[in-house]
Amino acid sequence: MVGSPVLFVAIPLLAAFIIPLTGMIWKNSVRIIPGLVLAFMFALSISLMGYVSEHGTIVEVIAGWKPPIGINLVFSPFTGFLTMLMTFLGFMVWLYSYKFKRNVDFEPSMKYFILLMLLVTGSVGIVLTGDIFNMFVFIEIVSISGYGLTSFYTRRDSAEAAFKFLFMGAIASTFLLIAIMIIYSQLGTLNIADIAEKMPLMDNKLKVLSLVFFILAIGVEAEIFPLNGWAPDVYTQAPGPIGAAFAGIVVKAAIYASVRLVYTMYDFGGAFDLFIIIGLITFIVAETTALRQDRLKRMLAYSSIGQMGLVMIAFGIGTKEGVYAALFLMFNHAIIKSLLFFSGSYLVFNKKNKYIKHVNGMGKYLPITSVLFTIGSFAIIGLPPFSGFWSKLAVLTAAADSKMVILIAVILIISILEAVYYLRVVNRIYFFDKKEKTETQKPSINALIAMICLGIIVLVIGFYPDLISGYLDRAATDLMDKGNYIKEVLTINK
Amino acid sequence: MEKYLDILNVAIYGSAVLLMLIGLYGALTKKSLIKIVLGLSILDSGVHLLMIAIGYLKDGTAPIFSAGNEEKMSVMVDPIPQALVLTAIVIGFGVTAVAISLVIRLYRHHNTLRIDEIKKLKW
Repeated sequence: MVGSPVLFVAIPLLAAFIIPLTGMIWKNSVRIIPGLVLAFMFALSISLMGYVSEHGTIVEVIAGWKPPIGINLVFSPFTGFLTMLMTFLGFMVWLYSYKFKRNVDFEPSMKYFILLMLLVTGSVGIVLTGDIFNMFVFIEIVSISGYGLTSFYTRRDSAEAAFKFLFMGAIASTFLLIAIMIIYSQLGTLNIADIAEKMPLMDNKLKVLSLVFFILAIGVEAEIFPLNGWAPDVYTQAPGPIGAAFAGIVVKAAIYASVRLVYTMYDFGGAFDLFIIIGLITFIVAETTALRQDRLKRMLAYSSIGQMGLVMIAFGIGTKEGVYAALFLMFNHAIIKSLLFFSGSYLVFNKKNKYIKHVNGMGKYLPITSVLFTIGSFAIIGLPPFSGFWSKLAVLTAAADSKMVILIAVILIISILEAVYYLRVVNRIYFFDKKEKTETQKPSINALIAMICLGIIVLVIGFYPDLISGYLDRAATDLMDKGNYIKEVLTINK
Repeated sequence: MEKYLDILNVAIYGSAVLLMLIGLYGALTKKSLIKIVLGLSILDSGVHLLMIAIGYLKDGTAPIFSAGNEEKMSVMVDPIPQALVLTAIVIGFGVTAVAISLVIRLYRHHNTLRIDEIKKLKW
């Protein structure tokens, strides 16, 4: 083993606080260090994934206290896969925003990179931790750095969006604390594996009550329907790459948390139906709302919420095929939505309200960015040569295997709406004339590399889905095997 | 029976729930941004009090092991909720600080603290 999972939390946290010091000596280190750290984390996650596939789950014990007393980190095929995805996206976000505010000012760019590092720390921590209170702390790290990043631009209405986010996040965090306290007062433990083992002892009423508080709290970050009022505002007001970071990293971590609760901690099957119902409502409402948006980033935000609904539906099917489809969707959504946010930001660069009509005729002025946006649009709709096709097919086959015919019908009908609003934008890019003579911004070389990388991944996975299906398969098996998780965490000998 | 009618227990749990309800009421109904932040802060305090109450033990001692004191182990209060509440207080403080700074930003941008007059972003 080359490293240990604790480095995923320790190194970015250290980097976040060391950046201002090195920045005093050498200003460019503020930009370079985060990239090195994220590249290292990605390489580490790949090598640990190789180790895990041979030797089984790594359970890291912190400070010598064995579970269930101490805090532990669990690097299993499932959490490792998500860590790999998140660190890769973190690296892409860094690459895209490497020249962020380079010629403007030193101070804002330093703050931006500090908050970005904290965002990645918190998200990876949520996924790796095996302790619910630790999870609460990481969720708070993510939220607070999220508030900071949202209110980054003082000229926009960003403080309003950030306050909305903060209001929901603060109430959610108290609910999370209440849920943790209900569990602790009944079972006397905070370790997820230990809770999962002792869960049958708990009173049914309190079980439901704590699950409701958990879902309410985590649902805010996971963009579940009635709790996602913050999302469109945050995506429009935050800096462009941060939209990608939210869609690709933070939301994935929150979805992981809710899945871990329902699949591992709680033991009733009704929760799966709850997932399907929540997912369907989220999917339908978000996609229909996206249809009538006139601003590009707002449309992408609602599309992101809708995709999360689809992920919830896939997890709610509850079979191994369903989990496989959900993980495939999470992977694809992270890659494709980042590509769309990255290229979309350049299509409406420097426009005040970022209306969809601003992309008119951009195909001539920004050819590469437009092609990449088009690839992303086609992929997220689920057109065949792109990666999105395979994940949507996996969801539909999983639903068909479980005889959920109505579900298939709803997903297909709503997919038509999705196609309508994405193709509308693509149509404007290529077949409309540019009216006003406004300046277009050519993407910087590092942003272009980041976008092309993501575009290539979309195409490669589209032609060779087998490249990642091995990872996905192992991750799905790992999540479904609850007894194995409990055994591995509780019987660690070190 | 005596256990359930313990006045102290009722008082602590009751005031924790009462604080939470006051905080929620303030956060959800007040129009002034400062009062909303206050409401969130009170809601937080209520939860912290609830956490402390869960770890409370009547006639319990401080959870410190020392020589000649081993037989008192059974009457120690549970230290975990206290450790958790310390963390939660710090986090709550951080959130309140961020909230207040956002309120200042909002006031500079919109020249008002009334939340119903700040509505540039819509659903």
